[in-house]
Amino acid sequence: MIISWIYWVIVVLVILLVVRCLYEEKSLREQLVAAMVLIPLVLRALFIK
Amino acid sequence: MEWFWPEGMYTIVMVGVFAIASFVFKQPIAVALTIAAVTGALISGNGVPIDHLVEGSFGYLDTILIIICAMIFMKTLQHVGAMEAVAAWVTRKYRHRPFLLTMSITVFVMFPGMITGSSTAAVITAGAIVAPILLKLSVPPVKTAAAIAMAAIYGMAAPPVNIPAMIIGGGIDMPYVGFGIPLLVCTVPLAIFTGMLLMYPDLKRIAKSGKSENGGLENELKKMAHVPLTPRLLLPIFVLLALLGGERAFPSVSPSFGMPLAFLIAAGSGLLTGKKWNPYLASKEAVRASLPVSGILVGVGMFIQIMTLTGVRGFFVVSAISLPAWALYLGIATSMPVFGAVSAYGSATVLGVPFLLALLGRSEIIVGSALSLIAGLGDLMPPTALAGLFAAQVVGVENYFKVLKACIIPALVTALWGITIILGAQFF
Amino acid sequence: MFEKKNLGSGFSATTILIITAVLIFVSAQSYLEMRTPDPDVDRVVPANGFARKKLSDYFDGLKETPADTDVFIQQGEEPGGTVLILGGTHANEPASTLAAVLFLENTRINQGRMIVVPFANIMGRTHTYPQDGHPQIYHIKKEGSKSRIFRFGARVTNPVHQWPNPDIYIHPGSGQTMAGVERSNLNRAHPGRPDGCITEKLAYGFLKLIQKEKVDLAIDLHEASPEYPVVNAMVAHERAMELAAIVTMELETQNISIRLEPSPKQLHGLTHREWGDHTDALAVLLETANPAMGRLRGRTDEELILTGTDKAYRKAFDLGQLYIPYEDGTEPIAERVARHVAVVKELAFNLEMVREGKGIDLEGVPDYDKIVDLGVGAFLAD
Repeated sequence: MIISWIYWVIVVLVILLVVRCLYEEKSLREQLVAAMVLIPLVLRALFIK
Repeated sequence: MEWFWPEGMYTIVMVGVFAIASFVFKQPIAVALTIAAVTGALISGNGVPIDHLVEGSFGYLDTILIIICAMIFMKTLQHVGAMEAVAAWVTRKYRHRPFLLTMSITVFVMFPGMITGSSTAAVITAGAIVAPILLKLSVPPVKTAAAIAMAAIYGMAAPPVNIPAMIIGGGIDMPYVGFGIPLLVCTVPLAIFTGMLLMYPDLKRIAKSGKSENGGLENELKKMAHVPLTPRLLLPIFVLLALLGGERAFPSVSPSFGMPLAFLIAAGSGLLTGKKWNPYLASKEAVRASLPVSGILVGVGMFIQIMTLTGVRGFFVVSAISLPAWALYLGIATSMPVFGAVSAYGSATVLGVPFLLALLGRSEIIVGSALSLIAGLGDLMPPTALAGLFAAQVVGVENYFKVLKACIIPALVTALWGITIILGAQFF
Repeated sequence: MFEKKNLGSGFSATTILIITAVLIFVSAQSYLEMRTPDPDVDRVVPANGFARKKLSDYFDGLKETPADTDVFIQQGEEPGGTVLILGGTHANEPASTLAAVLFLENTRINQGRMIVVPFANIMGRTHTYPQDGHPQIYHIKKEGSKSRIFRFGARVTNPVHQWPNPDIYIHPGSGQTMAGVERSNLNRAHPGRPDGCITEKLAYGFLKLIQKEKVDLAIDLHEASPEYPVVNAMVAHERAMELAAIVTMELETQNISIRLEPSPKQLHGLTHREWGDHTDALAVLLETANPAMGRLRGRTDEELILTGTDKAYRKAFDLGQLYIPYEDGTEPIAERVARHVAVVKELAFNLEMVREGKGIDLEGVPDYDKIVDLGVGAFLAD
């Protein structure tokens, strides 16, 4: 299904942006929050969960 | 006691750890929720179940994508200048007509909340734009912040996107369909009332005194209206309305993109407005702005998974449905906003679903709508105060509790209105 | 703890990313284990006479997809009717799968044919549902220290195979609108379509199976929350109503009380409606009560799945919220499986009353009391 692949691309782009934000973030706490958001996104992008 | 032990103890420990982590150790809500969830798992003899914790967060993966993509859409509107152009146009047009100005500003602040289902989004996009206008129009800062926070909460509850209602409905397998009118009934009267209470008196005074012509305001408006308001500038909004509206009005013929993709297509149409803007920058700002809320959803997901695992959830739910009617209504009106300290989403998940179950037999859509409205008040509750804190920030009020005080009357009226709607739901 | 606001740096970002990767790796191991479980998990030992086929033998659109599930057929010596027993439509309803497995491992068909599908939606068995807190597996105890292990999955297809779902799911054929997530629910996807999403294709496979095998009696096994009105119940398509009524009365004489519900004509996508409308089979759906899937449940663990003992449900019962008798505060798996087995046996036994020449005669399957007394494990192979 094409829509699944479009959403896969969306998830991957969001992951890249979150990682970018994680590196630009000056506060350790906010870095932790960004990392938390990454976990489900990465597992979905890898078709694991 | 047999009922209370051990789930009641787990509840107290989990909530206590959350409060200490966020208040005393000043951890972000997302992190505090995670620490509370891990503690709950540990004391209930479940160890640190990483798979459970991560699994809980998946309950909101779709919601997180909606929020991030909706935020990209809002940032696009900001970057092409559409938000400021609309605000300036409205202020110019209605500065002598305080009632219409009050209503326009309220709708303007509500709009991003309606689209994203997040009060934070409304505050940091539209709220940040109207704040300087209201201040220049001599509305006191505390009232400005309160008005923005309340409008943002009503925006979050108003259709088309109300995430707490989706969460509550999801809990009883009720599709998010047919909520439009009930949610308008829930929010529109309150939005009018709150606008009249917090903004109108000052706007009227200034309009009468003729001070609204002052140079400060005009300079502000000139700054904002650097892009002229044209239909082409509003193209992303039209595209979004067509995509979301079409899918709901004509589900059998409209393509089903889902909300995240619809927001991205609408944002993409911003490239056709003729304005120069950087989509990468807008997206990055959007993701950054969405991270706190997304993180809270991940944290709430973990917290709820552990609540389910340990039996705290059932303890909560059955305790709620065992309340007598008067206590049930009182419980709804107080516990939902208070639990909102974890965020309106957490309140909707943990309390919204059991309360809806306890109220089965009435129109579930109407009850669900009203519960989502009351849950929305949670975004005023510290330490999270997703609407309130950000509103205080954009206005520049240092002490959030002053803003909270100004929100007390609208919040009480909101809770009462919500309860009234629930009582009325038995007639539908 | 982190008093300085600007503690965040490139170094801390990398460190956090590494920790995140470890967490992802650890949780991924657990999730992947459900996808490729130990050979002992979900193992079945068909009784003599059962032939193993695949659902893709009936609809090749399922070949080499994660939806292709096992179909077991046993032909009796004498001709008669054909009964289909579908277990595991929803992987979080264990009595459904266990009852089907019990038939698969014990039945000897003398007259007619039996088709058993123990794991109807295997794509629901490869994950557990977020915020449900369910364990991934449960053990059915046998004599001594032995046990059989089964997966406890989710109601819907794993999103790894089907994602995203639309905001609103429009049931193909009827045009009925449902919540988007229902697109992943096999029991909302019937009669399915050959070019739909994977769950709809799976449903289509079962339609073809019923048509090609000329199934006379199609039984879909389920469980429901104790607070749900349709529980300890049989839902029958109007053509199956006569048989269902006979069976309900028969069961009353055995002190097994069961609610009989007509299949709502406007409720599309469910087996009892769509199989009844689109095939010649008499379609019925059975529900037992499963506290482990209910919304009022307390502590969620393997114990709850197996015993149904729950103090939150006990309190809810006192509050008049439940649709099952729950005075003793338990709903053991053996009773739930025994109930399914008893109803299926009666349905098969009485088929000839409503379809001449389509009788089914089977032996080897224990009766209600025996299963309750000895437990399910006593009737499963080693």
